[in-house]
Amino acid sequence: MTVWKTSMRNFLAHKGRMALSAVAVLLSVAFVCGTLVFTDTMNTTFDKLFAATSADVTVSPKAAEVTDVPENGKPESLPASVVAEVAGVDGVKKAEGAVSSMAVTLVDSRNKNLGSDTGAPTIAGNWTDNDLRSMEITSGHAPRGPTEAMIDADTAEKHHLTLGDEVRTIAVTGDIKAKISGIAAFTVTNPGAAVVYLDTATAQQKLLGAPDVFTHVSVTAEAGVGDTELKKSVAAALGDPAAYKLQTQKEAADANKDSMGSFLDVMKYAMLGFAGIAFLVGIFLIVNTFSMLVAQRTREIGLMRAIGSSRKQVNRSVLVEAVLLGVVGSVLGVAAGIGLAVGLMKLMGAIGMELSTKDLTIAWTTPVTGLALGIVVTVLAAYVPARRAGKVSPMAALRDAGTPADATSGWIRAGIGLVLTGGGAAGLWAATRVDEASEGSLYLGLGVVLSLIGFIVIGPLLAGAVVRVLGVVVLRLFGPVGRLAERNALRNPRRTGATGAALMIGLALVACLSVVGSSMVASATDELDKSVGTDFIVQSNTGQLIVPQAADAIGKVPGIEHVTNYKVLAAKLTNPDGSTADEHVTAADPTYPQDLRRETVAGDLEKAYGADSMSVGSDYAALHKIEVGDELTVAFKAGDTAKLKVAAITSDDTSVDQGAMYINVTTAERHVAADRMPGNMIMFAAAEDGKEKEAYAALKSSLAAYPQYKVQNQADFKEDLKDQIGQLLNIVYGLLALAIIVAVLGVVNTLALSVVERTREIGLMRAIGLSRRQLRRMIRLESVVIALFGALLGLGLGMGWGTSAQKLLALEGLGVLEIPWPTILTVFVASAFVGLFAALVPAFRAGRMNVLNAIATDG
Amino acid sequence: MTTAVTIPRHGDTGGRTAVAARARQVVKAYGAGETRVVALDHVDVDIVRGQFTAIMGPSGSGKSTLMHCLAGLDTVTSGQIHLADTEITGLKDKKLTQLRRDRIGFIFQAFNLLPTLNALENITLPMDIAGRKPDAAWLRQVVETVGLAERLKHRPTQLSGGQQQRVAVARALAARPEIIFGDEPTGNLDSRAGAEVLSFLRRSVDELGQTIVMVTHDPVAASYADRVLYLADGSIVDEMRNPTAEQVLDRMKDFDARGRTS
Repeated sequence: MTVWKTSMRNFLAHKGRMALSAVAVLLSVAFVCGTLVFTDTMNTTFDKLFAATSADVTVSPKAAEVTDVPENGKPESLPASVVAEVAGVDGVKKAEGAVSSMAVTLVDSRNKNLGSDTGAPTIAGNWTDNDLRSMEITSGHAPRGPTEAMIDADTAEKHHLTLGDEVRTIAVTGDIKAKISGIAAFTVTNPGAAVVYLDTATAQQKLLGAPDVFTHVSVTAEAGVGDTELKKSVAAALGDPAAYKLQTQKEAADANKDSMGSFLDVMKYAMLGFAGIAFLVGIFLIVNTFSMLVAQRTREIGLMRAIGSSRKQVNRSVLVEAVLLGVVGSVLGVAAGIGLAVGLMKLMGAIGMELSTKDLTIAWTTPVTGLALGIVVTVLAAYVPARRAGKVSPMAALRDAGTPADATSGWIRAGIGLVLTGGGAAGLWAATRVDEASEGSLYLGLGVVLSLIGFIVIGPLLAGAVVRVLGVVVLRLFGPVGRLAERNALRNPRRTGATGAALMIGLALVACLSVVGSSMVASATDELDKSVGTDFIVQSNTGQLIVPQAADAIGKVPGIEHVTNYKVLAAKLTNPDGSTADEHVTAADPTYPQDLRRETVAGDLEKAYGADSMSVGSDYAALHKIEVGDELTVAFKAGDTAKLKVAAITSDDTSVDQGAMYINVTTAERHVAADRMPGNMIMFAAAEDGKEKEAYAALKSSLAAYPQYKVQNQADFKEDLKDQIGQLLNIVYGLLALAIIVAVLGVVNTLALSVVERTREIGLMRAIGLSRRQLRRMIRLESVVIALFGALLGLGLGMGWGTSAQKLLALEGLGVLEIPWPTILTVFVASAFVGLFAALVPAFRAGRMNVLNAIATDG
Repeated sequence: MTTAVTIPRHGDTGGRTAVAARARQVVKAYGAGETRVVALDHVDVDIVRGQFTAIMGPSGSGKSTLMHCLAGLDTVTSGQIHLADTEITGLKDKKLTQLRRDRIGFIFQAFNLLPTLNALENITLPMDIAGRKPDAAWLRQVVETVGLAERLKHRPTQLSGGQQQRVAVARALAARPEIIFGDEPTGNLDSRAGAEVLSFLRRSVDELGQTIVMVTHDPVAASYADRVLYLADGSIVDEMRNPTAEQVLDRMKDFDARGRTS
């Protein structure tokens, strides 16, 4: 009871100092809860969507994939007769043949892509009664002939389309021009897919390439007939279980969601990872706050002990304070997390992924997880300071306040730190030495973790050395004030170390990723310079295959010396050693080696483009002991089985087309029927000498009608690559900013508490003539030194990690190490500003301190 | 309650006035209305240059407040304070800070030194802050006078209480301030260490011509001064010249007795 009371009073008495720690807990918990709410809401949205779009029972061809764009641009289909067959089954109220394809692009009359640019699909199909479960026609009517189309209301609104406007659906069999006859609105949340409905005959002919076929049959049950029951009876009626795939509504919805699931999971775990980093940094802040509070209260605690409090009671009173802090921070954090999730949803809306707050899902586990994490982490972090409080002797009440230096623990600490850092360094070094990437990543992970912990442990010792060096380099410029700041930063190395370490973690990750990122750009650029001979590259923005009409348009461009088709075919390979493997074979024109120069380990790559010949990658060849002249059995998924002779083995020491197996397009054509032949995944074109500029312009204009493809010359391609990696890094930096914000709060907290601790000194200095301005500068400089210390350690550590990672990834083609010095230097200088910023309030408050209060010795 | 204060014109050197600090009708009051407490009640005082002045009085007499006001650490409610020819009442914080830095030295009862700086750095701190180079010869003389030559590289925690106060005295002397204020500078010391520090202060007045004002409640400490001012209830009630410890003690007992009977 008394413990509770003292804790409560202490907590309230120090609420200002607790506030920053509470903010750290709040931010970390908010990030966790925000992530959970956001991903749960996405799940709910998709659940509702797929539940609404799936029929009671769906019958589709066995080979149909849920979302994969079919190789040849035409989804698997089943004959129209199945519809009638199913309709006759007992318990079936209605069976509708449906067409649906995602291998389409929808453009308006000005050739603008109407599809989502966030990765959501464009779906074309016929309008069936089943669609009424998720949509309603808000104006006009469903398409009644080949010249009519209906689009979804979101797309219409986004692109200002109304009835009568012309849209063009680009499918693999050709373009479908139609006028908008109707607009249908989703009755559930549609997170961004563009939908176009065509009349059934057009859809069959143009999307599936044949009349009287459907992609699936939507079966509606009679009242009282369960989905599972219905599925059974339909299956029985259809016979051949190998030919069809039957799914109840739930199964179909689950299958659809599974295809989204991995994307959602990756997002969730990535964000939780960043929340974890923020938590880690928050721990430092909490440890530091409690350490300082305990140190300041040494006399008070000594008095408590002297008048009879037990060690346990003192210990417990500190922990109870931690629990209070954890509760306050976590409760606020959970609330902030929900706000964050709503903010994220709005943000997703701004980039085209519509989520409705109506679907906001807060599972009971979310607040429980948030509270539990926040409280447990806070209490764990406060444990060491609490133990230290328990160890305060009653004599402390009589002694002058002051933290006695414990030299022995310093040595033990140094020993442990050095061992850990050494282990980490060894791990990082080992990672650069291995031959197998998987083995290396283990060493790398171990190295990163050990060196991080090592640096944290050794931080207080490094603080002494680093601050002295910084003192010589930076602080001496500021004369005596600089010296005072240096001494203050050195006064309690453990505190400086812990405060700096918090910043170190975030910056180490920034440095590591920026090294890996720029090495990726540099390696790829280097590789492209070495290997890419082509002038122009044509590929889709969204990963779709190039439709034949676009490929034809490219072929007719004047000034082009040659065009290379490049297709990827799934195949099952049987190797000479008897093993089999599911692989992808690249079918390209013989001009391809000019477009992309490849090193060969054995054989002649040109011969691989001969009839019934192929090449394999060196890794695959080594694994299956394949030599030039061996014959592989290649069973094309879309065609028959061929025996192909290995004419070349290409080196896998590359990042472009690594491991690709090449055959000539004509070889593929002999074994795969024309209508099953996949479209081009990418195309290359070389201009005639001296006509590069004209050819580039002509190529671009030839594809004006196909906005889903982009034409790039080598410079564009490199720039694009750089931008993509840059964007990815920016997102990661943005998420790491959270950890850095928490670290900055830590610097603010340390300074604020130091200023309070040094009230007397500050008063003395003011009395003997230190001006306010000098005093503020002194505190700012101390802050800058702490920040630079953290930055130096973090950037150093991060560059070590990044370099090690690059050496490891060199096995995967990341051959060039590039340390982005401008970025590193910018971060270093920026951290000095972070220090200045963190010192704003503490310095202001120190300046405002009353000189007399500060020096008064008696009342 | 004004005491007759002599304004001696002797010993005037170098065109400087013989009065190092002067207070006129100084009032310092806290609070307002019912709760108004007057710490200084129209005090007039002149601090003579080159003299060692002690301010005595019981707790709550206003002796510390008077010193704080004279030293520009505290503001007055009304009245004027001059430091030589400069009126310091009404100066802004910036000017006051400069004045303290350049013209005043301080010795406090405790927490005189910065723990992060060694003895020498502490001694030269006021000049460092001002960006001035200390006069090397003078510094050596000061250091020798206070007997710290061997301990200049020591941090305060490595020095005894007496040594710490001697460093504080050296710091106050090193910048050659016009006036040094001491707030119970020997309050935390045993009698031997206290005597050491006080004789340094005495010597600095005698040999270096320093002006010193010291607040104390210790009659022995006061006996080192040239002149003792007695404060009671915010007013100067008496003064004594060339005191001995016994005389001071007797006078104090006198006040105490009067205080009790009145």
